[in-house]
Amino acid sequence: MKFSKSSLTRRRLLASGMAAPFVSAIPGLLTPARASETTKIQFMYPVGASGDINTIISGMITEFNETHDGVEVEAIYSGSYDNTEQKVITSLGVGEPPSLWLPINSALQTFLGLDAIEDLTEQAKSDDIYDDFISGFIDTTVSEDRLYGLSFQASTPVLYYNKDAFAERGIENAPVTWDDLLETAKALTIRDGDALKRWGLIIGGGWHDWMFEAYCRQNGLVPWEKDKVLWDRPEAVEALNFWKTMVDAGCMPKASTWQGAANDFMAGTTAMLYHSTGSLTNLRKSSPFEVGVAFMPKKKTFGAAQGGGPIMIAKKQSDAKKEAAWTFARWMTNTQNQAAWGEATGYLAVRKSSWEQPEMQAYLKEVPQAKVALDQAAYSGAFLQVPAYSRARDVLKSAIDRTLEGEVAAEAALTDATAEVNREITRVLRRQKG
Amino acid sequence: MTTTTQTELPNSPKRFNWPRFLRDHWLHVVMIPLAALWLSPMIWILLTSLKTDVEVFDQSAGFLPEKLNFSNYPSTLSVAPFGTYLINSIIVTGSILAGQLVTITLAAYAFARMTFPFKNLLFTLFLLQVMFPIYAIFLTNFVTLQEMGLLNTLSAMIVPFIASGYGTFMLRQSFRQVPSELSDAARLDGCNHLEILWHVFLPLVKPTLIAFAIISVVTHWNDYMWPLLVTNSENVRTLPIGLGLLAKADSGADWPRLMAGTTLVVSPLLLLFMIFQRRFIDSFMHTGVK
Amino acid sequence: MSKTFARARRNEMFLAYAFLLPSLVFLATFTYWPILRSIWFSLHDVMLGDPEIYWLGLENYTRLLDDRLFWKVLGNTAFYTLTTIPISIVVALLLAVAMDSKLRGMAIYRSAFFYPVMIPSVAAGMVWVFLYAPSYGPVNEALTTVGLPRLDWLYDSDWAMPALVIMSVWKYSGYFMLILLAALKLVPSDLYEAARLDGVNAWHRLIHITIPLVSPTLYFVIIIGTLHSYQVFDYVYIMTQGGPADSTNVLTFYIYQTGFQYQDIGYASALANALLFFVLGLIGLVAVTLGRKVHYLGER
Repeated sequence: MKFSKSSLTRRRLLASGMAAPFVSAIPGLLTPARASETTKIQFMYPVGASGDINTIISGMITEFNETHDGVEVEAIYSGSYDNTEQKVITSLGVGEPPSLWLPINSALQTFLGLDAIEDLTEQAKSDDIYDDFISGFIDTTVSEDRLYGLSFQASTPVLYYNKDAFAERGIENAPVTWDDLLETAKALTIRDGDALKRWGLIIGGGWHDWMFEAYCRQNGLVPWEKDKVLWDRPEAVEALNFWKTMVDAGCMPKASTWQGAANDFMAGTTAMLYHSTGSLTNLRKSSPFEVGVAFMPKKKTFGAAQGGGPIMIAKKQSDAKKEAAWTFARWMTNTQNQAAWGEATGYLAVRKSSWEQPEMQAYLKEVPQAKVALDQAAYSGAFLQVPAYSRARDVLKSAIDRTLEGEVAAEAALTDATAEVNREITRVLRRQKG
Repeated sequence: MTTTTQTELPNSPKRFNWPRFLRDHWLHVVMIPLAALWLSPMIWILLTSLKTDVEVFDQSAGFLPEKLNFSNYPSTLSVAPFGTYLINSIIVTGSILAGQLVTITLAAYAFARMTFPFKNLLFTLFLLQVMFPIYAIFLTNFVTLQEMGLLNTLSAMIVPFIASGYGTFMLRQSFRQVPSELSDAARLDGCNHLEILWHVFLPLVKPTLIAFAIISVVTHWNDYMWPLLVTNSENVRTLPIGLGLLAKADSGADWPRLMAGTTLVVSPLLLLFMIFQRRFIDSFMHTGVK
Repeated sequence: MSKTFARARRNEMFLAYAFLLPSLVFLATFTYWPILRSIWFSLHDVMLGDPEIYWLGLENYTRLLDDRLFWKVLGNTAFYTLTTIPISIVVALLLAVAMDSKLRGMAIYRSAFFYPVMIPSVAAGMVWVFLYAPSYGPVNEALTTVGLPRLDWLYDSDWAMPALVIMSVWKYSGYFMLILLAALKLVPSDLYEAARLDGVNAWHRLIHITIPLVSPTLYFVIIIGTLHSYQVFDYVYIMTQGGPADSTNVLTFYIYQTGFQYQDIGYASALANALLFFVLGLIGLVAVTLGRKVHYLGER
């Protein structure tokens, strides 16, 4: 419908005689695509997990191209989530977006603000999406009851722990509550005089705002609404003060880096680690000890924020391409592919039916840790889906860091950060309204 | 004075003469540990590229890999079409360098040895290129290349870098150091500017040209952000994007293969440097300045 | 006589412009045009991916004055530049002088100090994340061996920036060394001979002969070093993302964040223009303080 409207506008422009240079610049639009021709679509994706994962994705795409006549997908590796978003938005700016892309779910409002993504609600309803997708994952792609993407690689943070270190200290179970967590972390910390030998816990840096949202949710607060953040609420302040307590107790470093934190865990420098479920396979295979996985401990409830990415489909493209894009997105998220993808990476398969596949059942028997994140997903929701989420994340990270460094009190840091981000959100929203 | 020039007096056969040894070799005594310090990250890269995933972080496993595990190299190559990437990297860095050498030689000569109006203003304009942060011009250049229809081609990675304020500056500095008697003599022999440039100046500044060539090649050989932004297809992408696949991941890096990949990407450059540094020394011997 | 002279001058002028033309064509397309655009953007509200732009006047610049992070970032950038450049150049000069002597094994030394320049920044950054690891990292092991306290490096907002400085010295000294070595090779060796025969010691030869004679190159290296310090972007991007607590956020990274991650092109352009002034100021400072003293060998 939108498509015919735009061609009408074009005709009107043609009549006025002013459009000649524009039209000649886009001859492709004037020749209607013949049905027999192959529809070529582009898919931009980041690599969430390293190395072989890329070969798995390209393998899936090769298979798709071989089994689907009339559609040809070009897969474009585009760096990290951030790089992917930038590449897509830059292409949108020149009016040539890819047909589909795989951003982090937090970017939903950003792309909606740019009027860039296709509403998939009707197609999804006439398919089995609403029945078979795990509802927590569907929620990450919904805005005002409309669906704007198909979850592809779902993840949440989980608590990884070093079973050898636990055994050595005579601790049997992973901590269940914040209080347990503090005690366990203290018990696992080893110091040799001043020199630290092992931390009790590291919260993976660079994404610690994501973990912080989990803490807020565990304390009964979803720390954002669609047009503002709520980090100044007491629940959030309490969460940050709890982090500060752990730092002051000397069982957690003030800061870390994403890569460094994973290394520290594998090297046995920290006994527990908050990291993405997407790291499961890597941590499990590279650690010289047995890796345990548990829910992140609760306060009032268990809680987590969804970190994974959905496949989104561009709005500004021909209907033929949209159709091809839907076929492809649908195929990437089908039962078999989701099962295989989850097994290879540690990401969570988004379909209920995927988890019932015999291969998946066998995998879960072998690696029971993989089930933990799925169970935890029942307590999870979307991650910081506000406009200007990227800046919001950086402001929050800075506030957390400065609090843990002791530069500023938790409440003041969070109040300032909230005010700053909400000002920014207002600015962006005002801009979008024109 | 640093090497053993005074060898006529044999050391006492019974006891090693430490003061003497230190006096004669003090520079080596300082340089060897320093060089070892500088080399240690490379040694770590090489050793890690031969380890297994588990060994990298197992502190009880020791510094050396238990057995040399060369399989990381072929398995790195299977992650992405590194052969194509390699050819593209060579074409891109080679073309940039060739273009730059032409533009900077001409411009630097004009700035160093010719008089014309607005010389200082123009020179400052050249320097602007170096001063302005490249990330601030990404967007506009992306749009420009799109209008030219060059996105997703090798040219998109080449043309923005053909002119080099940096190289012009560097070469101008060298041209100015060439004794003016040499060019005056050539002019008296009836040489025009191009001939003087070609026959007198270029041979003399070879070391600078090589120093510039090295940094230009290294910069563009290792560039990641710009190629990632302007290319889409495997057949026009360059080596660092292959490395990015191994490094920039949610789940932590794939250490052994990242290091294997690093070794593979660096080795052509190292080889080139080894070859060039001989020429680098040779070029001084023929300059006639010394 | 004067007529032919004038014609010669005019010919030289045309030739000079012809020599500059190839560079100028590319500079105009890929440098001046974007800079002009960025000045234009900095006066507007421009969003990446959105064709609409709105006039703001100087609002982006006044916003900059109130931006706590901007001032912090500016301070970080100055700290990084003012530590990395002097340290690298002193190291580079000493190395270059050492290599200028007829030292056996020079090719090996030269490669040893130069190779870091060639390591792709993606990989070098990752390696140093490992080296700086607080507990098992070799850097801390080495500190312990010589009896110094262990540090948290990238996990500590006081030490994260010095960590990047140390890494940059490792990465770039070799390059400055090479340029200085090229200059040293041009110094007539009879000057040294004469001084040595007069009984001048090595230190005084360095201060009174070497440094004055390579001062144009030294001056050049200081300026390119300053410009080169933009490269720290790569490491901030790979290793710390500006953290912890913004302690490693530098202007180039902040511009990238603002323009590309936050899509706020207008404000990013204002930041870029501020950086341009900052660098121009810094270079002006160098030119005023050092440039006057520079000794041009063979200068007309």
